[in-house]
Amino acid sequence: MAGVYLSYPFCSQKCNYCNFRSGVFARELERRYVEALCTEVRSYAWPWTPETLYLGGGSPCRMEAKTLARLLALVPGCPWLEATLEAAPGSVTLEKAKQWREMGINRVSLGVQSFVAAELAQTGRKHTAELVAREVELLRRAGIENLNVDLIAGLPGQTAASWSESLDWIARLGVPHVSVYMLEIDEDSRLGREVLRGGARYGAHEMPDEEAVVAFYETAVERLGTLGLRRYEISNFARPGFESRHNLKYWRLEPYVGFGADAHSFDGRTRRRNAEHPAEYVARIEGGLSPCVEESPAVPEEERYYVGLRLLEGVRPDAGGRRRFQAVIRRFSEAGLLEDDGERLRLTPRGILLSNEIFQEFIGA
Amino acid sequence: MDPRVIRNFSIIAHIDHGKSTLADRLLELTGALSDREMMEQVLDSMDLERERGITIKAHAVRLTYTASDGETYQLNLIDTPGHVDFTYEVSRSLQACEGALLVVDASQGVEAQTLANTYLALEHNLEIVPVINKIDLPAAQPERIREEIEHVIGLPAHDALLVSAKNGTGIREVLEAVIRRIPPPRGNPEAPLRALIFDSWFDPYRGVITLLRVVDGRLRVGQKIRLWSNGKVYEVEGLGYQTPKPVPCQELSAGEVGFMFANIKTVSDAQVGDTVTDDERPAIAPLPGFRQVKPMVFAGLYPVESHEHAALREALEKLRLNDSAFSFEPESSAALGFGFRCGFLGLLHMEIVQERLEREFQIHLITTAPGVRYRVTKTDGEVIEVDNPARWPHPSAIQQVEEPVIEATVITRDEFLGEILKLLEEKRGIQRKFEYIGAGRVLLVYELPLNEIVLDFYDRLKSVSRGYASLDYHMAGYRVSPMVKLDVLVAGEPVDALSTIVHRDHAYERGKALIERLRKLIPRQMFEVALQAAIGSKIIARENIPPLRKNVLAKCYGGDITRKRKLLEKQKEGKKRMKRVGRVEIPQEAFLAVLRVGGEAPQG
Repeated sequence: MAGVYLSYPFCSQKCNYCNFRSGVFARELERRYVEALCTEVRSYAWPWTPETLYLGGGSPCRMEAKTLARLLALVPGCPWLEATLEAAPGSVTLEKAKQWREMGINRVSLGVQSFVAAELAQTGRKHTAELVAREVELLRRAGIENLNVDLIAGLPGQTAASWSESLDWIARLGVPHVSVYMLEIDEDSRLGREVLRGGARYGAHEMPDEEAVVAFYETAVERLGTLGLRRYEISNFARPGFESRHNLKYWRLEPYVGFGADAHSFDGRTRRRNAEHPAEYVARIEGGLSPCVEESPAVPEEERYYVGLRLLEGVRPDAGGRRRFQAVIRRFSEAGLLEDDGERLRLTPRGILLSNEIFQEFIGA
Repeated sequence: MDPRVIRNFSIIAHIDHGKSTLADRLLELTGALSDREMMEQVLDSMDLERERGITIKAHAVRLTYTASDGETYQLNLIDTPGHVDFTYEVSRSLQACEGALLVVDASQGVEAQTLANTYLALEHNLEIVPVINKIDLPAAQPERIREEIEHVIGLPAHDALLVSAKNGTGIREVLEAVIRRIPPPRGNPEAPLRALIFDSWFDPYRGVITLLRVVDGRLRVGQKIRLWSNGKVYEVEGLGYQTPKPVPCQELSAGEVGFMFANIKTVSDAQVGDTVTDDERPAIAPLPGFRQVKPMVFAGLYPVESHEHAALREALEKLRLNDSAFSFEPESSAALGFGFRCGFLGLLHMEIVQERLEREFQIHLITTAPGVRYRVTKTDGEVIEVDNPARWPHPSAIQQVEEPVIEATVITRDEFLGEILKLLEEKRGIQRKFEYIGAGRVLLVYELPLNEIVLDFYDRLKSVSRGYASLDYHMAGYRVSPMVKLDVLVAGEPVDALSTIVHRDHAYERGKALIERLRKLIPRQMFEVALQAAIGSKIIARENIPPLRKNVLAKCYGGDITRKRKLLEKQKEGKKRMKRVGRVEIPQEAFLAVLRVGGEAPQG
């Protein structure tokens, strides 16, 4: 079964740690973007009826209910088995939550990142832990129980104690799904650039070291486990039955179609990417061009590993794969990074932390 | 040509004392080049020579000059290489001359290289004409320099010429002095042919072109000639001289200088210093001084991409056509795969070869740390020469080791003396001479192991003296030294390409420094990596590279598999530039780490 991704790369602010293409753009562009997005969805010839839907960003919670309803009405399959909306804390009201529920949204992912005031201040976020708790309550009252909270391990100034404080809040809120991302330092975020050039803005001089981030992550695995939130993917934890059905499709190489700027699609054979910048995306659609700017054949015999192994359930190599990657599988099994029971391959806990080292070896070998 | 109107001369100068500018002025004044053709430093014609401001190949330019006595002269200016790596070539070029201009900078004074080449010229009985250049500079002190030439070199300098090559002052006086003071060649045109090869190079259309000086007899197009050292016979296909444009001619006779091509296939068949004679009417004895040039410095050259091995071989073969001083033979390393052990005259020569391979043949190279050739006497009495640490015999099989030594001359100012003496001690030098040569300058002569020079000596000398030290050296035989092989073990496995031969007393400190450096150069791996330095089975230093703790991609956002793949590909590509030794990925820089050890922190 297939999924739909709708991209909404607009935010009310650009966070210091964010290395996505989303951010603050002109209001006028945002308005035209919605029209372009509707045009793209409307002109799509659906080969199947989608089972899951994911509205990601950016901050799709910014969209007016009316606009959102108009967009979702273009997607067949309502009510979907799972329909997720990403929301920034501070954007949820009871009225909005009820409207979301009415148009088919049954899961909300809250970009909390941290419950600690000092850490939030460094990132430029304005919410508080109490506000998140209130909004979780509102969403539940509106009938949306399937909630995710995002956390980032490795924020400036983060300590074992502050990290523990965030995990305490997860326990208090009792959400069924948590994502824990280890902060990526690269040229694509303000904070990353500052760290790379050795500066002190955005708290770049007080980054926890690699060892500390590893410890945060491992603490999370343990604490969340005791809360019944099982790690089912490198960065994702859920109570049984609350795993994200939409995201599972990516890792299991099932088809999905993405609409909007920098959205990705996979039809089982080909991978496609839309124009990255919202302005280019809008211009293409308005000019009658295809928004797709890149197309490449999928390589399932390799993707199975470097994508599929992200899941704790692991992958089941076919005979060809076993032959082709025999040496690699043996090397990493002997090093204690892969677990091979003769049928399935799984990353070990240490293998998870070094997963890129392993995944590389399944590419073009 | 009547030998009485021929003068053959060269120019001796320290780098930057103005040799090339003076040569350009001489060419200009004799009309060898029109203004339009005039280019800065015409004689250094290889790209590499221009870029580095050094002369690698010799040149011979014929100038025609009508002197104040009304006579028209043929002046052959023979430009010699200007680096200690090429001392033998310099000596051959000097042998082709009857005199030399000794150019000394009017403010800098006599330098080590000038001194060495002047003595070389005196050994060949050349008439030396001192020239004090750059008299236009405000800091010029011609009187002091005159005294220095007399005192340091021991040459009368009261009639030294005062010149500014830059401004063109005193150039005519130089040409007049060449005619008056340098004797004409003495050879006999009617005697059997003897010509001295003082340089040769490979031309893809004509084969080897040799530069030669006819000492006796005549060399004619069509003549059957014989090369003395190998007895090979060739027919002369072409003769000529450079003005500097090549001008063909039918004959070169005693006293003249020019070029010859005779369908010789490789430069190793026409070696510098060899004698050309007539095949039917050979001379009784060859010209003196010929010897096979032997490489002194050795290093392993490996292609970064193993599939470029064949291309590297081809490139080395092509280079060797043109450079008989350079040698190579296949070798293999457990760490680096298949490559070549190459021999060079010195470090500059090595850099030139490396640079030409990368530049002219586009081959990316990994070079292992350069070393020298040791003479090892084994306990069974056998004497072997070892230039590759991988072939070093087991310590129990070694009776004694001899290492090549050089005699180095350093001239510096006394304010840097302390640091320089410390450096020379550290490099295991033995003092042979210590002399104040006036104006606060000191001349030092030291016997030093060649091995120490090969490491980083010259750079260190320059840095401790802030550039105010000049160096020249020549080979001075062998001395018995307690040399040992220092091995490096990475994750318990010896890496052959990181082994070096060091003096026993330095082994501990070198090993420690090397391991520390490697720890910084080798990226963290998925497991802890032990780095060890060992002599035989004894570990003398150890460091650990802590394991890489995480390399994990947080998200694959919105199903962006392609971005993820690109990131993984990029990481993988980075590893390709490393050599995998056992389980460890070692970057190329690590193989040269040996070179820089000791250069970082001052050692007491």
